[in-house]
Amino acid sequence: MSKDKDYEFILEGLSLHVNVGSSDDQEALLQLSRRFTIRTYKEEEELWNLTTSSGQLHFILSGAFAEYLIDGRIAHLLRFYPKNRFAYSEDLILYSSKPKTYSKCLVEARVASIPAGTLAEYLMNEQLGSRLLTSLIELSMTEYRNTTYEMLQTSGIHRISAALEQFPDVLDLIPRNQLADYLGISRASLFRSLKQIDNG
Amino acid sequence: MANSLDKLVFDFFRGLPAYTSDMEETVQSIVQSFDTPITKPKGSIITELSPPNKDFWFLCEGYLKEIYKNPFHNQDSLFNFIPPSSIFVNEDSLFYNKRPQHYYKAYTDVRIASFSNERFQELKKKFPAIIKLYLSGTGEIQKNRRSRLLMLRMPNTIDRIEWVQSQRGDLYNKMDRVTLAQYIGVSRASLYRAFEKLDE
Repeated sequence: MSKDKDYEFILEGLSLHVNVGSSDDQEALLQLSRRFTIRTYKEEEELWNLTTSSGQLHFILSGAFAEYLIDGRIAHLLRFYPKNRFAYSEDLILYSSKPKTYSKCLVEARVASIPAGTLAEYLMNEQLGSRLLTSLIELSMTEYRNTTYEMLQTSGIHRISAALEQFPDVLDLIPRNQLADYLGISRASLFRSLKQIDNG
Repeated sequence: MANSLDKLVFDFFRGLPAYTSDMEETVQSIVQSFDTPITKPKGSIITELSPPNKDFWFLCEGYLKEIYKNPFHNQDSLFNFIPPSSIFVNEDSLFYNKRPQHYYKAYTDVRIASFSNERFQELKKKFPAIIKLYLSGTGEIQKNRRSRLLMLRMPNTIDRIEWVQSQRGDLYNKMDRVTLAQYIGVSRASLYRAFEKLDE
């Protein structure tokens, strides 16, 4: 895929989250999209980890990542980022604190990234930037809300159905050995529920 | 009455991780911008947050249930249980200018006060630090959502109950069992079975 095409996708992604009012806004967003750098991630490679000290805002052009939260010594799959989504450590980007999560590549991915410093300069100095900042907060709040909807379902089959509503390809993206943990159900319940779904 | 609201709001903002003493004037302006609190009786729907309300609301006293339409059940379900000294908003209206998917119901008699969005926008121009407080406030909500997601993913009901007991004792002591079952995402039957085991 050409780089120009990649930048178009980044611009489209940014436009989804920032209400572009004028041609100046459009130009500012275009300039911002050009400041992203693009690289490929192999499975298991990390977007950020617990020792990362400077955050980046990532935009997933292809592939998928998972974000894990450590509870005690156990890492739990908190949420995941498929194609055309922003991924970032909220702790680093929004709250200037040490990351409590880490993110790993599930399916080989192409990712566009911009360092927090470059982003902050933009967020603070450009009028459009404060809108982008607010959008990132809102996006993050909404994603947690949507994931909570999934987890509030009392049965395994409803949890899977709610997850499929949010992410239609969830069953293909999350390895089966992590899916039960992600859905908060036992493996037996997962397999029973998947069988029920298969049988219509 | 108004003085007690002032103190509660002051305490709320001073308690945020991002608060520093040089934000005192900003906080003072926020406190002064709150409307006089209103009282709503137990069981009532908080109609003040009906569309197109995009204000920030502060729960001075009492407990609120945040309710949403669960697509997998015939009845509306609990999304969150809100303790006193919390900010609550219509996320759909505030973030996306959409009709709210959630509504609030008084679990006990409540006293609430609003801080208008227009006033927030005015103060943002005068006191840029307000955005840090906004970020910090959302950060606290996020932390709660994130840790609750871990609880909701625990496959064992007893573990979920014990999480609420230890992490959210303030809520646990107030919630009836039906509300607790919804808060931890289990059926009433599962909750009662778990309590029977705990009592053994």
